[in-house]
Amino acid sequence: MNKPDANQVAFPRTNAKVLADDGDPLRFCSTCAFSQACLDQGMDKRALMDLHVLVEHVGPFHAGEHVFREGDPFDAIAAVRAGTVKTYVVDRDGREHVLGFHLPGEVIGLDAIDGEHYPCNAVALDTVMLCRFSFPKIAVLAAQVPGLQRQLFRLLSRDIGRAALLAGDWSADQRLAAFLIGLSRRLAARGFSPNRFQLTMPRTDIANYLRLAPETVSRVLRRFQHEGLVHVDRRELEVTDRRGLEALAAPILRT
Amino acid sequence: MDIAPTAYDTDLLRRYDVPGPRYTSYPTAPHFHGDFGEREFREAATASNGDPIPRRLSLYVHVPFCESPCFYCGCNRIITRDKARGEAYLARLFREIDLVSQLFDRDRELIQLHFGGGTPNFLSPAQLREVVDTVRGHFRFGDARELDLSIELDPRCVTPADIGVLAEIGFNRASLGVQDFNPDVQQAVNRVQSVEETRAVIEACRANGFRSVNVDLIYGLPKQTPEGFATTLDIVADMRPDRVAVYGYAHMPNLFRAQNQVVAADLPDPEGKLALLQLAIRKLTDAGYVYIGMDHFALPDDELAASQARGGLHRNFMGYTTHADSDLIGVGVSAISHVGDTFSQNPRDLASWQAALDEGRLPTFRGMRLSEDDQLRADLIQQLMCHGCVPIDALERRYDIDFRDYFADALRKLAPMERDGLVRVERHRILATPRGRLLLRNIAMCFDRYLSTPNPVATPRFSRAI
Repeated sequence: MNKPDANQVAFPRTNAKVLADDGDPLRFCSTCAFSQACLDQGMDKRALMDLHVLVEHVGPFHAGEHVFREGDPFDAIAAVRAGTVKTYVVDRDGREHVLGFHLPGEVIGLDAIDGEHYPCNAVALDTVMLCRFSFPKIAVLAAQVPGLQRQLFRLLSRDIGRAALLAGDWSADQRLAAFLIGLSRRLAARGFSPNRFQLTMPRTDIANYLRLAPETVSRVLRRFQHEGLVHVDRRELEVTDRRGLEALAAPILRT
Repeated sequence: MDIAPTAYDTDLLRRYDVPGPRYTSYPTAPHFHGDFGEREFREAATASNGDPIPRRLSLYVHVPFCESPCFYCGCNRIITRDKARGEAYLARLFREIDLVSQLFDRDRELIQLHFGGGTPNFLSPAQLREVVDTVRGHFRFGDARELDLSIELDPRCVTPADIGVLAEIGFNRASLGVQDFNPDVQQAVNRVQSVEETRAVIEACRANGFRSVNVDLIYGLPKQTPEGFATTLDIVADMRPDRVAVYGYAHMPNLFRAQNQVVAADLPDPEGKLALLQLAIRKLTDAGYVYIGMDHFALPDDELAASQARGGLHRNFMGYTTHADSDLIGVGVSAISHVGDTFSQNPRDLASWQAALDEGRLPTFRGMRLSEDDQLRADLIQQLMCHGCVPIDALERRYDIDFRDYFADALRKLAPMERDGLVRVERHRILATPRGRLLLRNIAMCFDRYLSTPNPVATPRFSRAI
């Protein structure tokens, strides 16, 4: 095992008592997606409340429970505090399309900001805790907190983006490598171990997200394992050759 | 390796002759509960499909029928000569195979198909073919070279010609019940079986290219003597099966009705029983068999021995296996499944099992979901049973624990066993000594959380360790 890894928590946290690293009525949680933007403006939680922004911790949502559904009236965005949320839409033929997986510190509902309704479904993949920001009008808030809008855009673009994954003529190996490295980086940014984490999403969801057949996901992973890039035990994934995996992912991630 | 116990060990082994589980599973079946049913089993199957690399599958088919009762038997079985009951059973079995196969993604390979009982060859070769064909129609079979297709055979009701048909169906492993060739013992347990018919079946298996033949023996049976058992062991060693299992007879007539037929006065005393075990170990190792662990021996070139040497041995309800962890599906009355982190079991009575299937339900009636602690201990006990070793470092890493802290209680229980020379607690591992390998159950019991918080229903159900 990599030494620097030793003190980092493997995602997801399993101890129910410390599922999320919570703040208190005045202080933001350590995983808060907005704290920096707000604090930069000299606003703490109390100041947000004065702006009629209701910040509340909700959850736990259990695996399979929906946070919101497509068409629900939009009244809040939410930051993930613990667990994984999947967003997806269902097309006219009843086929599901996975839009993304949202990890602690990431925000769901952002794509609803322009409209009156949520344009997609959000479902908990494991035990999920959220921080809900409900507000009468995003415009009011954004006007008061200029940095917030920038922060929102930054959050939007943090995910490697399904578009980037699917736009190019990438091989299954490249897509999967980019997916894993992407997850790893996002987790690392939140203080989780970058080299040891759980794939909290079932393989059909990974396959759907990457537009691969589920068998292909397994076949490629089996080969990655054989080549020493990763070690997979049930849902647990260990990146054993980071450079190798990064090299495969590089054309898609472009970093 | 010299594992034949000395006189000194006799006292030792007697002290450790306490009731304990055989650990074909941890937690053991008595801890399954009714809150875990069909719905939970379905969820477990769905979750297992979601693994990035889903496990391969093993299928266990239970055939509960026997033509006559062996008095020592503690298995779930039904005594009948009415072959029509086999047909009725198959109709439900096919329904169950159809229902259960729908739960598992089709790209998951089946690598092990095992028939146990009862007496699987209560079914005719034609019926067995029908079962295998049905399984083939519902699951994707792995590479033929890797697929284990095994069956427990009663040599008294199978002919060499039948073996030819079984081989044609694809069977490549057989396990033969023998127990003891001594006529007095055979009378006393109601299982009269000649050396000739047994030898003929083994030879037919070999002639038909079976990869491995196992013979089951039992020590501690009524009227068993060291002289008689020595003869049996000589005959068996001469037949040269690839594997030999030597089980201790557990006399628990309150639990197993058939055992009421055993005359308790005919049973060897604990000392005599121990002498029989020592005899078996000495004779088999002298004949070139390798001691695998618990009650199993194998020829050095058998896969089991080779696999143990490589560290790739596993243990499940079917005993020891070379296949890495697979999800195990059990079909038939009383069969146990082990899918993901769950155990589940079918009803042990035929009527309930049939009723569920007739209503189109999966017949799961009890089970359990393993906690993180259960999984850790199951892993530890598995390592111990297969390799006689607890890999401290690997477990610390895998489960993110401080071993000495987490298992302080177990290590305290282990201390007297270390003084008795059964285990060595080292920095990176705990090792069963050659002497300790006879008492793996006792070592494992130190790590069994359910024994320190006794389940009043469960504890008296175990047989003695030796």
